[in-house]
Amino acid sequence: MLGLSRQQSTKCLLPQRQNMMSKGDTTVKTVTLSSSPGRGKKAVAYLKRYWTLYLLLLLPITYFVIFKYVPMQYIQIAFKKYSIVQNVWEMPWADNNGFEYFIKAFENKDFLNALRNTIMLNFLDLLCGFPAPIILALLLTELPFPRYKRVTQTIAYMPHFLSWIIIAGLAKQLFAPTTGLVNNFLGKLGVDPVPFLNEPIWWVVTYIALGIWQSVGWNTIIYLAAIAGINPELYEAASMDGAGRLRKMWHITLPGIRSTIVVLLILSLGRILGSEFDRPYALGNHMVNNVSNVIAIFVYKYGIQGLQFSLATAVGLFQSVVCVIFLFAANALAKRFGERGVW
Amino acid sequence: MKRTISILLVCFMLVALLAGCGSEPASSTPTPGQTSSAPNESQAPETTPEPEIVDGRFTKTRSITVEIYDRSNDGGSPPEDNFYTDFIKEGMLRDHNVEVTFVPVGRWTEVEEINNLLAAGDAPDVCVTYSYPTIQTYANMGGVLDMAPYLEEYKDLLPNLYELLTERNLFWNKDPEKGTVWAIEALLFNNARISTFVREDWLKKLNLPEPTTLEEFENMLRAFKDNAQLLLGSEASQMIPFSISYDIGWRADHLLSAFVPNDMTDKEAYIHGFDDRHILYPGIKEGVRVLNKWYNEGLIWQDFNLYGAGDNTEDNLMKAGYVGSFIHNWDYPYRNGEEGIHANMQKLVGPDAAFIAVNCFKNDAGLYRKFLANPIDRKVFFPSTNDEPLASLLYLDWISKLENRRFLQIGEEGVTHEVMPDGAIKLLSATGDKIMNSPNNIDYTITINGLDLGNAELNAKSLALGYAGVDARFIEKAWPLSKQDGRIIPQFNVGEVKSEEGMGPALADKRDNFLVQAVSCPPDQFDAVFDAGYQDYLNSGGQAIIDERTVKFAEYYE
Repeated sequence: MLGLSRQQSTKCLLPQRQNMMSKGDTTVKTVTLSSSPGRGKKAVAYLKRYWTLYLLLLLPITYFVIFKYVPMQYIQIAFKKYSIVQNVWEMPWADNNGFEYFIKAFENKDFLNALRNTIMLNFLDLLCGFPAPIILALLLTELPFPRYKRVTQTIAYMPHFLSWIIIAGLAKQLFAPTTGLVNNFLGKLGVDPVPFLNEPIWWVVTYIALGIWQSVGWNTIIYLAAIAGINPELYEAASMDGAGRLRKMWHITLPGIRSTIVVLLILSLGRILGSEFDRPYALGNHMVNNVSNVIAIFVYKYGIQGLQFSLATAVGLFQSVVCVIFLFAANALAKRFGERGVW
Repeated sequence: MKRTISILLVCFMLVALLAGCGSEPASSTPTPGQTSSAPNESQAPETTPEPEIVDGRFTKTRSITVEIYDRSNDGGSPPEDNFYTDFIKEGMLRDHNVEVTFVPVGRWTEVEEINNLLAAGDAPDVCVTYSYPTIQTYANMGGVLDMAPYLEEYKDLLPNLYELLTERNLFWNKDPEKGTVWAIEALLFNNARISTFVREDWLKKLNLPEPTTLEEFENMLRAFKDNAQLLLGSEASQMIPFSISYDIGWRADHLLSAFVPNDMTDKEAYIHGFDDRHILYPGIKEGVRVLNKWYNEGLIWQDFNLYGAGDNTEDNLMKAGYVGSFIHNWDYPYRNGEEGIHANMQKLVGPDAAFIAVNCFKNDAGLYRKFLANPIDRKVFFPSTNDEPLASLLYLDWISKLENRRFLQIGEEGVTHEVMPDGAIKLLSATGDKIMNSPNNIDYTITINGLDLGNAELNAKSLALGYAGVDARFIEKAWPLSKQDGRIIPQFNVGEVKSEEGMGPALADKRDNFLVQAVSCPPDQFDAVFDAGYQDYLNSGGQAIIDERTVKFAEYYE
């Protein structure tokens, strides 16, 4: 891309090797030291050669700095008394050494309830929703007719493109106790209407089930790709040894996609306290609010509608910090068990 | 190489970060600086040089910006640039030498948008919102101009504003201690609020008189249910004798108000009056118990608890003719012309199908008690970035002038209205540039809500003609009934009640939750569900508000 001749590239590799050797090796260190006036020069030479690459990098970095790092200064709002007319640096600190709003949040029953619901719903989502695409991927790879497989896969990932608002509308049409299609059908069979949406426990079941329905097909794609990457010779060898389908699944396919599973699991754990807004908000109603109110809804109600920006920022910050902790912990745990982790 | 790259990267990030942080506050500090100094200058108008104004006209052209709601309605005109804005702009330039620019703000996201504009220092000079707590919050942050000194100082220049709003609405929000006025209250010209509606054609079919008591109303509901086959034929299973939504406090208002003791004092009403659905008034629980009974008897729409704000499932059930009765805004079924409930029922059910207003819930003194609103409507405020307070007040004065607001409300004869032989005004729906984006151009007449032609008799006649395709007799009945035996709790101005700040939406949500749950639970659990919800409401801030209101009331009125 940069049109480097072979000569140039060897030239650039040479000082680099010296540099690497310099670590901990005294004899070589003298060599590097003797050539140390060249260190600045090296950097200049290096930059001269690669400046175009850095120029390319400039754009994404600028993006991240402007849109991800600069806004982070507003994290301060969590520790300050928010004022609409003051710069964030000039706002006065909140009481209790700036922790006023964190204390307020943890004293708020609604917040604790939202915290509980967030953890509960996300945990159930993980428990039921995480294995689902793996199972579907295994089933799909075992299908003998490629066309049938492709059609099934396409249909399965379609719901991913529906917004939760639409899914909630469909759910009400289908599951309403007296007018819903499903309950009408059950009624014809002589079964009492099931309160899919207006009774807390049933609502959680519906919520989780709809979540799986919406995302299972889409999440399968990545596993299918991982399965496609497994060396087919392994299967042939296993067949020679007399392994059946389940044996092959257990001993070849699953270990083959283990690292993918682990990476996705770590990322999911990083979201354990993160909360979607539209899914619980659209599906929720006044009968089930004590299980459907999650942190995002709390932030919307108190922060955006109630204009308590500092409180909302404090809650958001708490949420992010816990997510980061989970992410690191899960990653460390994965490494402990001999996986590569995410970084 | 790795090391060099990382060092370079870190350096670069640091530089970029510093550049970002350094320039950010530097560029934005002047704005807050300006805004915070503005109130200081403005709080003492006498220090500013005497405005160059002759006969209410500035000698030098001034310019102001004015917020205008954008309803993005189908076929509407741009709210900031159309026939009516031209009318205002020309008039303001002619009469006061003030140039007006309109700033459109989404009607349904107004609070969020004004929020952004205020934070950016770009808020229009004249802002309007329905939410006083929002203004109070901004004021506490120093973002709002105190209007009191200007209203006093320029009283003589604002005759129309004073005549329309009177001192009452202008100083409604005056702080009893500091004397500040963060916002003036527009006039609610028509304070009809809620009506109870029943199907007139069903009553006739069943040979029932219009219900006049709770008992008769209940019997009527049962009669609807028992005669579903006769009333709805093959669709009998769709029968909904009484329909309601999640907003129980509004949608059962007449019924609940009838359970409030007649001898409740104004003080009690004030102390328990934070919630605009009056859920803290004494006696409400027994009203909700009636709803619970009806729900369990199958007299109330069984699926009501699934649907939230803005859902039109219930409207569609009414339009299809399945609903026998309901309580809602006083003119609800007659609204929206061709798209409305009345027109659709006439199309789908037959020419006799209609809802008619009745009064049937009496309180312990035998009155059809309902709690009506004070004559206040939207709140107009000036952000602290407003450096033309006089020009802005003159704007409010100009649109409050009868001649001007009359034109804005009814438009041109032959285009948006016609004059009936008796002088009443009948509104016509126009298209194109002269279309009214809001009924009676309510968005332009921000100091008044409700048609006012300057003559009470004409107003009443014209009001009844204001509903295209609806027989005037329905309106003429609903209008007085919705005000019959009404009680207005007077305003008690105790200044800011701190515990109310930011609690409105969260408490309203709690209220709706427990009311919905109390209505739909089995009768033997009613007390437990209601009491638990009520207690939760009090614990989550309701009690703190009651306590603070009690203290403040004692401080100012006892």
